[in-house]
Amino acid sequence: MAAGIAEIEATAVHSVTRLRRFQDYLGWSASALAFLLLGGAMVWILAIVFVKGLDSLTPQVLTHVTEGTGGGLLNAIEGTMVLALGGVLLAVPPGLACGIYLAEIDVLVGVPSIVIGYFGYVTMVVMLGWQFSAAAGSVALAIISLPYISRTTEMALREVPRGLREAAYALGATDRAVVLGISVPAALPGILTGILLALAISVGETAPLLYTAGWSSYLWNGHLIKEPIGYLTYVIWAFITEPFASAQALAYAAALFVTLFVLVISVLSRLLLDQSVGWRGRS
Amino acid sequence: MISGGPILRGFRWRWLRNRLFSFRSLTALLASLVGFILVLMVVFLALYAWPAVRLNGTGFLTQNSWNLGNLYGNPITVHGQQILPGAEYGILFLIAGTLLSTAIALLIAVPFGVGAAMFLSEGVPPPVRPWISFFVELLAAIPSVVYGLWGYVVVIPFLGHHIFPLVVRWLGFLPFLGGPAGSGYGLFTAGFVLSLMIVPLITATLRDALVGQPPELRDGAMALGATRFEALRTVLLPAARRVLVGSTILATGRALGETMAVLMVSGNALNYLPSNIYTPISTMASFIVSQLDSALQDPTGMAVRSLAEVALVLCLISIVVNALARVLLHYQGRHLLRAF
Amino acid sequence: MLLHHRRVSALTHRLILGGCVLVLTFAASVMPSANAAKTGGSANLLETGSSLLYPLFNLWVPTYTQSNANVRITTQSTGSGTGISQAVEGIAQIGASDAYMSDALLKEHPDMLNIPLAISMQMVNYNLPGLNQRHLKLSGPVLAEIYQGKVKTWNDGAIASLNPGVKLPDHGIIPVHRTDGSGDTFIFTQYLSFSAPEWGNSIRYGTTVSWPAVSGGLGAVGNPGMITATKDNPYTIAYIGTSYQNAIEKDGLGIAMLKNRDGNFVLPEAKTADAAAAVMVAKTPKDERVSLIFAPGADSYPIINYEYAIVNRKQPSADTAAALRTFFTWAISPSGGNAAHFMKEVNFVALPAAVAKLSADQIAEIR
Repeated sequence: MAAGIAEIEATAVHSVTRLRRFQDYLGWSASALAFLLLGGAMVWILAIVFVKGLDSLTPQVLTHVTEGTGGGLLNAIEGTMVLALGGVLLAVPPGLACGIYLAEIDVLVGVPSIVIGYFGYVTMVVMLGWQFSAAAGSVALAIISLPYISRTTEMALREVPRGLREAAYALGATDRAVVLGISVPAALPGILTGILLALAISVGETAPLLYTAGWSSYLWNGHLIKEPIGYLTYVIWAFITEPFASAQALAYAAALFVTLFVLVISVLSRLLLDQSVGWRGRS
Repeated sequence: MISGGPILRGFRWRWLRNRLFSFRSLTALLASLVGFILVLMVVFLALYAWPAVRLNGTGFLTQNSWNLGNLYGNPITVHGQQILPGAEYGILFLIAGTLLSTAIALLIAVPFGVGAAMFLSEGVPPPVRPWISFFVELLAAIPSVVYGLWGYVVVIPFLGHHIFPLVVRWLGFLPFLGGPAGSGYGLFTAGFVLSLMIVPLITATLRDALVGQPPELRDGAMALGATRFEALRTVLLPAARRVLVGSTILATGRALGETMAVLMVSGNALNYLPSNIYTPISTMASFIVSQLDSALQDPTGMAVRSLAEVALVLCLISIVVNALARVLLHYQGRHLLRAF
Repeated sequence: MLLHHRRVSALTHRLILGGCVLVLTFAASVMPSANAAKTGGSANLLETGSSLLYPLFNLWVPTYTQSNANVRITTQSTGSGTGISQAVEGIAQIGASDAYMSDALLKEHPDMLNIPLAISMQMVNYNLPGLNQRHLKLSGPVLAEIYQGKVKTWNDGAIASLNPGVKLPDHGIIPVHRTDGSGDTFIFTQYLSFSAPEWGNSIRYGTTVSWPAVSGGLGAVGNPGMITATKDNPYTIAYIGTSYQNAIEKDGLGIAMLKNRDGNFVLPEAKTADAAAAVMVAKTPKDERVSLIFAPGADSYPIINYEYAIVNRKQPSADTAAALRTFFTWAISPSGGNAAHFMKEVNFVALPAAVAKLSADQIAEIR
């Protein structure tokens, strides 16, 4: 009798374990598949950008400006740098201020970039009379990057141990000395990550720049207003649909530059973040 | 302290100046300036769109009738407003396009995101984890216009010529999967491209939440006889539910506002609702870009104001969705520390 | 902890230093080039607008700027709607448009000039497997019905009766239209309006119209977008400017013969365009805002139009005004922009002398 029950029990446990093992196998396979498919999509995108982009890279791309639907990308590359740097420079002081003071401007993330672009068009391009300009473009980019700088600054500052700040106060430091001399340097990797993130976003934006920076086939002549400026994402957007091979080649080359730049920034910020984590982990 | 007229006045002024121009208040001023810009934008949009709101009424949201009117006719007066003859503004198809493409994006992104997060949190050894996850997070860094390029050059021919006809043939009996297979430009393509853009938001936050769970949860589950996957599925994942919901809502917010990628793959529909997943659509954001210059030709200005109304609707939806996500994600009971 | 802090700071400081060096070197290289046009008589012109005029402008600019180095002209293909609106706002100096400004718009902005620079044509193209080598005969009323979804299949009686003996496929028609503000839409819908009163009374014409929802219909951006949509999808029909005729022929798409006012079916070529222009020149008013669509004449091609430069007669600086006048004068001259080799490349027709005179008069008003 006892042997019979044990046998039944043994069989029952065995089959339940089999089912669960099968479910486990299914589960891991499904999640691995999900990951692989996502990774595959990433590879697919990078493949087309790199393969077609490298194909279209001629020395001319880096030495000539855009001439109609052909030429090169020198003006676009320069323009992207100017606009992105301008945008980040304009965004850092208010972004830091928000991160320091913890104003809840995260909702700015919710505003679609086209709305910011249109707002910029009506206020800066038309009402202020700046027309298509580097200034209008940079301001629009700054508004878009602000929440990211603010959020990462806030998170980085929050990680700075209170003891550090309290000790500084105890020694008689002013607010400014504590923030600029202690908190910010300690949180620097995190803050820099935010700035790099803003740079990456600025390099990749299109819609707002269409209505604020316009487009120019020439190198920037230094005018901040009343002078349109070129940028790489315009080339991608406008030239890929042109039926001329030279235009499409430029679009791929531009996509290559933009993607490369974004990749480099992402790697850099990952490196920075790893460092800061290491420090935080030990404190 | 010797009290006296001028000395007293001087002292108070210095006190005031110290308070006003202190580092703390200057920073606060700068910070609130930023909030001011946001409020300014929404208020400006609302004020500019107000005549259109009054003219269009609720039909704006319920009808498929976007019509700029006779651009070469003479303006007439309707309800006290000058508009072009035949002008009418109803954006139901935009609302449908926006919501449906976002819904499809979520339908794809959530399962894949959760699966990838589970794989990354438990199935990958910790030393390698940051770099492998980084690879998936890159999907979020790729600019929208590059997604549009990839979609236009690669995905549309692939889906339109190969996948969609197959799906129509074998699965066409299912609702919304039948009917003409279309050209590749359409609802599903837009949703698919959007899903890739938002999936890292879900994967990264969920992975962090799963990894960050107290080890007692997993250990306890396994002590009770669960396998690692079962522990993940039945214990760790539900514990991270709030994070999942919060990040999904954040992802929704991002998808709602996407412009360039959708513009290049959606097919730019006008005044009709999609009958299946292969039909062209338009979203609010992509519509603004594609119609702004036509609208600027309306001498009465009502077309541009109606576009501003579209922008206002989009803005309000996005802000609400993002605020909701923030609330859910921050509601951990954590103390907000001040920086000084 | 402080030790770790210092170690991290050192590396971070190095990174920051490196970054600053990079930024500074970049900034130095990007500083405006020494030969930025700052001398007197120089101008930066932005041309934006019509995708139909865009290829011609891209041919003009390198030739013109070679002999006029103090002028910089940037070209953009954004659609006639953008050309008109940005010229009106003063953001672009030259708004290229296939469509002239409406009365109402001109009333609001009376300082705008509509200056024809050349005469262009528009084709009706289609992608029918096996039939792209043939020139199908189509008429305005039939096209109107196609774009309204009333004629749904290629072998419909309406099309078949115009093309006896042609084996038309039994397949749905996919009409492609422009979604951006387009001069091509303007002239195409004018053709439909003038030849099919039923379209003329309901949908009318404009740089953008409320296209009836036709099942399967596609929207495209720009002439290039129309080409891609037609090329990638069989059984489509689209309206595309003749400056893209080379691309159309290379892609092997069909070109339709259109029924003109006299009832004859004609192809878009220099001969038929000249015939139509000859008739309509006499009707061109001083402000040159006139439609050349559906011209009478046995050989006239029904869809030809003036390519306009929309310009403000009051420019902010004398230099810009002078640069514009010089450029436009060159553009309309038969030895300059209207030379035969330019026209042939884009399948346009040069301005008749009388019209060129009218344009010159308008150009002289730019101050």
